[in-house]
Amino acid sequence: MIDQELQSALILARSTSSPQDIVDLIPYSRFIGAQAKVAESGILYWLDRRPSNIGNPTLPAIHGGVIGGFLELAASIELLYSSEVSGIPKVIDFSLDYLRPGRYKTIYASCTVLRQGKKLVNVAATAWQDDFSKPIATARCHFLLP
Amino acid sequence: MNLKLAIFKPLLKLGMERTGHGAALGFKLTKVNLGEVEMTLPCKPELVGNPVTGVIHGGVIVSLLDTCCGSAAITTLTRNSVTPTMDLRVDYMHPAEPNKPIYVSAKVYRDTSTVVFCRGRAWQDDAENPIAHCVATFMKVEAQSLSFPNVLRRSFKRFVLGKKDFKQAGDQ
Repeated sequence: MIDQELQSALILARSTSSPQDIVDLIPYSRFIGAQAKVAESGILYWLDRRPSNIGNPTLPAIHGGVIGGFLELAASIELLYSSEVSGIPKVIDFSLDYLRPGRYKTIYASCTVLRQGKKLVNVAATAWQDDFSKPIATARCHFLLP
Repeated sequence: MNLKLAIFKPLLKLGMERTGHGAALGFKLTKVNLGEVEMTLPCKPELVGNPVTGVIHGGVIVSLLDTCCGSAAITTLTRNSVTPTMDLRVDYMHPAEPNKPIYVSAKVYRDTSTVVFCRGRAWQDDAENPIAHCVATFMKVEAQSLSFPNVLRRSFKRFVLGKKDFKQAGDQ
């Protein structure tokens, strides 16, 4: 894929309100099975359970790294979809707090862009399973804009 | 290396490399010592995060560092406990280069009765010029199901007899 193809795909996805099209551009999102759609309160991301995302087979629980990767992915999709960035932003740092174990079922996530500057963007992401008020993890991510 | 670690090392290798997400990523544990673990991840096209440059997704590096630090934390345990991650912070020093393996190392730098503090890094060509640094903290939680004979029994069932207990538990 060349840069211009990516840019036109991003513009098309924004104009048709389909964040899933941006998710599909990134091979890693297929690898973990991330999905996205427009909901009332912003974009809802979710990750259906699959055996290849298991970290602890005896509980069973979702791999902590998958939860981290999913939130980092969701934060970057949020940025690509909601602001007019032209390319995939670089991640500077990523900080993740695990609050509860990720049970072997669907994980949901939502993101908030806390601050967008000319160069730097701060995005917060939260993941939950059954109950939004009981998050399983929260993350904070700094991006450098291209 | 003590005897317990000698028996534990292949179990940890099997558990990390051949189940769930570890198997999907396809990394190998190359070194397991007390409080110190190293891993290698070969390059794979499905792990790409930037379709233009072909650079690996940061989430993969998060997974690797979490696994590596977690494994290092497990090696320090003396009782039957688990070490769930409390928090993990990754600082990306520079982007990874495409089509090159990634090496990860983790070290426990403080081990208390309730919390284990770990540091890790990921690099490609030069270990002194890493692509990412990380710090991670782990809780120590006692769990009888993880007594050594129980783990041995479960590992035997899973890897020798090929039984997958998570399938029965997950798919009703």
